[in-house]
Amino acid sequence: MRYVKLSQENFEEFFNSLKRWGKLYAPVKKGNIYSFQHVENSSEIAFDYTRTMLPLKKFFVKPRDEMLKLKGGKWEESNGAEPIILFGVHSCDIHGLEILDKVYLAEPVDPYYKRRRENSIIIGISCMPDEYCFCKSLGTDFAMHGFDLFLHELPDGWLVRVGSVKGHEIAWENEELFENVTEEDFHHFREFEEKRANSVKRSLNKEGLADILDLAFDSPVWKKYERICLGCGNCNMVCPTCRCYEVCDLWVNAYEAVRVRRYDSCFMETHGLVAGGHNFRATRLDRFRHRYYCKNYFDPESGFNCVGCGRCDEFCPAKIEHVKVLDEVREGLQ
Amino acid sequence: MTFQTHDARILEVKELTPREKLFTLRFVDPEINRNFKYKPGQFVIVDIRGFGEFPISLCSTPTREGYFQLCVRRVGRMTKYMQELKEGDIVGIRGPYGNGFPMEKMEGSTLILVAGGLGMAPLRSVLWYALDTGKYENIYLFYGTKAYEDILFREEVIHLLKHGEDMKCHVKLAYEVESPSCIYLEKGYSPRVCKGVVTDLFRGENFDVENTYALICGPPVMYKFVIKELLDRKLSPGRIYMTLERRMRCGVGKCGHCIVGTSTSIKYVCKDGPVFTYWDALSTRGLI
Repeated sequence: MRYVKLSQENFEEFFNSLKRWGKLYAPVKKGNIYSFQHVENSSEIAFDYTRTMLPLKKFFVKPRDEMLKLKGGKWEESNGAEPIILFGVHSCDIHGLEILDKVYLAEPVDPYYKRRRENSIIIGISCMPDEYCFCKSLGTDFAMHGFDLFLHELPDGWLVRVGSVKGHEIAWENEELFENVTEEDFHHFREFEEKRANSVKRSLNKEGLADILDLAFDSPVWKKYERICLGCGNCNMVCPTCRCYEVCDLWVNAYEAVRVRRYDSCFMETHGLVAGGHNFRATRLDRFRHRYYCKNYFDPESGFNCVGCGRCDEFCPAKIEHVKVLDEVREGLQ
Repeated sequence: MTFQTHDARILEVKELTPREKLFTLRFVDPEINRNFKYKPGQFVIVDIRGFGEFPISLCSTPTREGYFQLCVRRVGRMTKYMQELKEGDIVGIRGPYGNGFPMEKMEGSTLILVAGGLGMAPLRSVLWYALDTGKYENIYLFYGTKAYEDILFREEVIHLLKHGEDMKCHVKLAYEVESPSCIYLEKGYSPRVCKGVVTDLFRGENFDVENTYALICGPPVMYKFVIKELLDRKLSPGRIYMTLERRMRCGVGKCGHCIVGTSTSIKYVCKDGPVFTYWDALSTRGLI
């Protein structure tokens, strides 16, 4: 890793220079929630945000995404991706994006996702957890890769970790804005990281979790929560790693149609429905349990499919808490 | 790889039953047609432009080149559109997808094909592949249908019922609804044709379990009972193959609709399957 320092007085200039690389998006406060929005000025950015409602996936797998256009009976590929810079991304979201990468960039590569990923620059920012975060227990509270630059807050500026060639090029172009990191900066960096790590209140006990869940297939806890869950699919929409999509063709006019994909949710009854009306996940119990299995699938190479961002808890209208459900399932087995 | 599909022309439409039609297709581009290689048990995604896509298993055999066949049952909106198409019409095709049956691994063994209803379609690919290559010891086809009118590929099946023994192909049929045609068949070929369900066809059958593979495809309710018959005869779970159905939208492991399993065993039916062994089902909850 390469480390440089960006002083507070140089921040504005650095920020403005980023616009050369693409359209800038950063967390902005709207009412009580945060969301990644197009920004022109750094004053619009909510640097101390907790989490945006929709994660980064909205830039790569869009809620409604046009794939192909039908013209004269032939499909044409939809337009390419514009270069974007995502500024102020939290570590958990970077991990979330890496999980999506694993799916969408695996053979056969999803061309839309790949194009957008290649045209994006990720600039991370350090954060302070709130009561919903359980990232530390999943090891996603710190990003070692998956970003171009990562900004860590210092009393008088930012310690910048340069994580990619592209990040290096950005730093290179702005060389006069950066300075060397001092011992004192490292001290502050460590202090901040310790404070951050100690502020994570919620923790997921992942010891043997995958096997425990597997054994608890008939646990009464699923039945309890099935009755509480509204089946609205909100948790799917806001989850940085939920990625189910549905495809449909829509007519634009009598001669032109588009093939679009849009977010789907495993809480919808139609999710497991096949031709002829047979449904492989017919009850809400099946669907509720399925989501927990999908999120807590343990991949030996990349860990769980959950990054502990806390979105599913914060935006659940039934106030179901992810960690609590899993703890109860675990307790139910003893 | 994109989600672009390739033009394929419908060469022939044949009505198999009042609900099912058999489409014979060929890619318009000869190059694509030449390069289109598949295995029994694989599927393609059919694209009816402007209306949508649906997955369907290939029911022809790769041993017969130059065309491929799809058996389409009218069950929903997309299959209704498909059935309205005529010879000469164009549809989009992408694929083939999925793992297919391990035909090479099974060479030299006896194959027991157990089909229920529409499950005959993917197994027909295996059946013809096995007959064409002649690399298999014995081929049993146990086929359960509702009524005589529902027998898919009826001419082929009845032809094999009559003359299959010469090719070491043993066909057995079970039907549920009595009709003069069935009774006629039953009279001629009892006990190979009987009234009942597909598991009734196992009665009196024993296999050399060391040298036998079972391949199953049918409605979800069928698997449990067929597998029981096979396990009762001590066939190893690793030798029981079945092909499954899920809502496969993308076919390539992205859209998530066909995910099955639990925290230790998530699988995509479209790319890890649709052919699984019974051992997979034992270790992956929700598979069957």
